[in-house]
Amino acid sequence: MIEDDEGHARLIERNIRRAGVNNELAPFTNGTEALAFLFGDDNSGQVSARKQLLILLDLNLPDMSGISILEKIKANQHTKRSPVIVLTTTDDAREIQRCYDLGANVYITKPVDYDNFANAIRQLGLFFSVMQVPETQ
Amino acid sequence: MSASRFNLIRVAALFSALGMLVLTGIVVLSYVTLERTRASTEEVLETRERRGALVDLLSVIQDAETGQRGYLLTNEDRYLKPYERAVKQTDERLARLAKLLQSDAQSSDFIKKLSTAIDAKLAELSETVALAKAGESAQAIALVRSDRGKQLMDHLRELLSEKRNDVEARLSDAVASQRENAAMLQWTIIAGGVLILLAGLGATWTLVRYTSEIVKARTEVELLNAGLEFRVQERTVELQRANEEIQRFAYIVSHDLRAPLVNVMGFTTEMKSSLETLAALTSDPIIDASPAAEAARAAVATEIPESIGFIQSSTKKMDSLINAILKLSREGRRTLNPEAINLDALFQGISSTVQHQLLEAEGELVINGKLPTIVSDRLALEQVFGNLVDNALKYRDRARAPRIEVRARHERDGAVLIEVEDNGRGIAEHDHERIFDLFRRAGAPDRPGEGIGLAHVRALVRRLGGQITLTSELGTGTTFRVRLPRNLRLVLEQAGELRG
Repeated sequence: MIEDDEGHARLIERNIRRAGVNNELAPFTNGTEALAFLFGDDNSGQVSARKQLLILLDLNLPDMSGISILEKIKANQHTKRSPVIVLTTTDDAREIQRCYDLGANVYITKPVDYDNFANAIRQLGLFFSVMQVPETQ
Repeated sequence: MSASRFNLIRVAALFSALGMLVLTGIVVLSYVTLERTRASTEEVLETRERRGALVDLLSVIQDAETGQRGYLLTNEDRYLKPYERAVKQTDERLARLAKLLQSDAQSSDFIKKLSTAIDAKLAELSETVALAKAGESAQAIALVRSDRGKQLMDHLRELLSEKRNDVEARLSDAVASQRENAAMLQWTIIAGGVLILLAGLGATWTLVRYTSEIVKARTEVELLNAGLEFRVQERTVELQRANEEIQRFAYIVSHDLRAPLVNVMGFTTEMKSSLETLAALTSDPIIDASPAAEAARAAVATEIPESIGFIQSSTKKMDSLINAILKLSREGRRTLNPEAINLDALFQGISSTVQHQLLEAEGELVINGKLPTIVSDRLALEQVFGNLVDNALKYRDRARAPRIEVRARHERDGAVLIEVEDNGRGIAEHDHERIFDLFRRAGAPDRPGEGIGLAHVRALVRRLGGQITLTSELGTGTTFRVRLPRNLRLVLEQAGELRG
């Protein structure tokens, strides 16, 4: 989970857990750390090989744009099949198109109203629980 | 610049006047000279005639003398005939001369003298002829020999020759004056021609200078104009950029404000659910023993829920405000889609959406006359006029049935003015500008609303290249006037916004 707002990260985690998802969750608050985790020190992505990854991505990050992270994930042979779920406050039509063009699997706008937000995250959690995630190469 | 132009005009006029003056002078002088030439020509002719008459007279008297001499020599009547004819003609010739000399002052004296001399000569002649006729030839010849006849003839000749000299002097005078006239005419024409040429040159020079000055001034104006156009274009681009920046700013601000708001709302909800656990605990009699039990129960049951309630209502309000800004900034970024829109149909549509409210309030929406068709953006127009009609119903005067009237007319500059008039509660004058501001409202806050509608309407109307104004009287009603260009496509083309 790449999300710069720790409050949001905590709320998302709580709601996913409430939906019964018990998988390991690695939170990152900036792009640099997240990329280091995904592609390793040699930047090859070898570290992600043979893992089942699902990436929750926020577009507004302090050090880089979430879109460039998305590009890198989809361009890397090890991570390109890992589902990426863009979860962000932006609902600009062009931004949404761009993300899907780059290979994002799902784009979710964070509802501002908390009830809707919580509801959306819980449903996302339910979705996770039935979702098949391919193993990376 | 204007002074020099004035001078130029004056100089040109001066040259023209000078040319005219010279021309008039030439005409007058020519006329005078011609008149004088005519007079001297007449005099020449007259003088010639006089000379002829003098010569004729002398020759006729000589004829008479010749006839007398012949007769005296031959005593033949044959020679008497020319004598008699000549004597007969003398009177006639004298009369003609007298008539010709009539205009001269001393002519009567001369004629008298001449007439006396002729009479004397003719008397001498007739005397000798009479003597010869009577056969006294010797006596007649003696009379001739006495030289009286010769003296008389010499006297006559002298008289006539004197006059002839006189006449001839006058003839040469007349000829000289004629020559003088011709020379004068020549000089007049030459001098006049030179002067006219100078005046023409002067006028041409002035004109050329004036024209070149005009051309220079026009070039200057053209340059300034081009500069002005360039500056206007530059400013327009700057303004557009500033406008875009503001919209981006509004978008980013509203967007970034949303993220912390989600946290506030999220954790408030989390707190609320945690509170339920606490409430279960405080309701347990186990804690009765604690001295803080009552306070804890009060906090859990009333104080904390109340605080949470305030936090939630405030965040909800803040959320709707941010949404409004976001909506406005998004509206500014939306691509307009110009199409032909029948305003009649548009208002019919709006009327049917508020039909329920109208029925409830027993009000009516009247479309006055036929509304025109314009080229504009349908969605924007629906929002603008939908908002105005909604407001008219929302802020109606509860004391009377609402009546909304819509009318439109063409303006001279290719715009359409659409008026939406209501009989609602009206807007105080100091609020006329304020109501268009974001989050500002006017009058009693008894109706729900966030103060977004009219700000939105004004932003839309401006984007469509129009203006919105209003007149209103508190307690009587309000009229909103929306001025829109008849063809939005032209406006967008001018702004370089239309693609494709």
